[in-house]
Amino acid sequence: MHRVKILEYALAALLRRPGKSAAILTAYTLLVTVLCSVLLLTHALKTEAEQLLAEGPELVVQQTLAGRHDLIPERTAATIAAIPGVASVTPRIWGYYYDSLTKANYTLLAADPAASPLELVAGRLPENEGECAVGMGVAAARRIGVNDDLILIDAANVGTIFTVTGVFKAESRLFTEDLVVVPGEALRRFFAIPAGMATDLAVRVHNPGEIETIAAKVKRQLPATRPITRNDLLRTYRAVFDWRGGMMLALFASALLAFCILAWDKATGLNAGERREIGILKAVGWDTGDVLMLKFWEGLALSLLAFLLGYTLAFAMVFHWGVPVLGDVLRGWSVIFPDLHPVPHVDLYQMATLAFLTIVPFVASTVIPAWRAATSDPDEVMRQ
Amino acid sequence: MRRSLLLLPLLLLVLAARSPAAEPPRPGKDERCAVCGMLVAPFPQWVAVLEFKDGRRFYFDGPKDMFVAFFDLPANIPGASIDQVSGVYVTEYYSTRLLPAAEVLFVTGSNVLGPMGKELVPVAGAEAAETFRRDHAGEKIMRFDGRQLVEVAPRP
Repeated sequence: MHRVKILEYALAALLRRPGKSAAILTAYTLLVTVLCSVLLLTHALKTEAEQLLAEGPELVVQQTLAGRHDLIPERTAATIAAIPGVASVTPRIWGYYYDSLTKANYTLLAADPAASPLELVAGRLPENEGECAVGMGVAAARRIGVNDDLILIDAANVGTIFTVTGVFKAESRLFTEDLVVVPGEALRRFFAIPAGMATDLAVRVHNPGEIETIAAKVKRQLPATRPITRNDLLRTYRAVFDWRGGMMLALFASALLAFCILAWDKATGLNAGERREIGILKAVGWDTGDVLMLKFWEGLALSLLAFLLGYTLAFAMVFHWGVPVLGDVLRGWSVIFPDLHPVPHVDLYQMATLAFLTIVPFVASTVIPAWRAATSDPDEVMRQ
Repeated sequence: MRRSLLLLPLLLLVLAARSPAAEPPRPGKDERCAVCGMLVAPFPQWVAVLEFKDGRRFYFDGPKDMFVAFFDLPANIPGASIDQVSGVYVTEYYSTRLLPAAEVLFVTGSNVLGPMGKELVPVAGAEAAETFRRDHAGEKIMRFDGRQLVEVAPRP
């Protein structure tokens, strides 16, 4: 009962200084929003990349020439397929295409109509020569839909007409947005890839424990290749998103510092009025513990409110409003940006870390000066 | 080309139907190893199964635990005897398929560890077993003759 009364008094005290409370709350909320949205978005992008890669091949084998990616002869597939533990080897044909019309890069991929995890929002996958399916970003950039024509310039500088048979939607739009899927042989001709060559080989492995061994064997048997395991890719994606997130946070570090100064100044600088208040409270019989409790409740109420507001705002920004500002910096450099709508996800560990980092220092910075004032003689405090 | 691709799964289906013993079903989420008590489902590439004539089925989190139970059945599965066993299955290392234990070879002492540490790793075919032994620093190659494990003489 005693504590509830103190809490009541603390809340009333906050409301008695609306200007100061509102100022701290606004700055505090803003800071938490920025911090949370960077962390939430980085986390969401990483999760999305991981989910997507989980369906990809366990191993990708590239040919290298003078340390650069080169076309791989399809017959190497047989060598790899003979390694025990390899389930299947599929030569893949894909590449990048710069579209000068929309000033954007597209990813052109040979269709695998039999087994494609990609979902279509409308139409079907291309089956015949001169057909293609496009990602939503390409469809929007070129203002085309099903049954429209997509004209691309091939390797011989000749315009090639593809009829759009379908538009992709995928759970993760991060990867299918700039995609154009074309039947295998048509894409080979388009890029002028010689017969018997492929961009890379996708290797499926039954036992996840054997992937590293198989990668080592591929490297030993085919020294001019570079086997890339799914774990390598995951690590790379994590590193890239972490790096971008880190850059963002570094930029915001100055804002963080500014807030710290403001909070410190607002919270620690007990003005004469507050000192008097503490003095009077002590004079009417509050002991030091009660005063500290009062200041603790004040700090906690303010910072908890700011944290919850900030987190909610960041959550809405990242998962519902498509990340207005940060998104462009974090997801990539291409011109066709997917509308980011990452899958909402609350990571309790991350939330607890953020709460600890923002709430504890603030509460501490309100309690400590109060403690100093509360331990001094009330008579002296009131006289000042 | 398309038609032959469509026919391929059908052909595989026919071949699968011809094989004498159907693969036992995968363990359920709450299935526990009958020897060590650990959950079996998180280790799909290690599952081993003992099937009994009365239709009972016991799952293990590795061939090692399965053999521990098999070699001393009454102690591990009360009231059971070797005569009642109708099928012994282990998960083949390279294909992660459940195969009858008599159809695979077991490599001991390798650096591939199962949920319970050192394992008898099941590999199908003499050549693959030899490859596995070389790749993963294995020691001996054993064969299961329906009653016990016997060492296979190393190939010259």
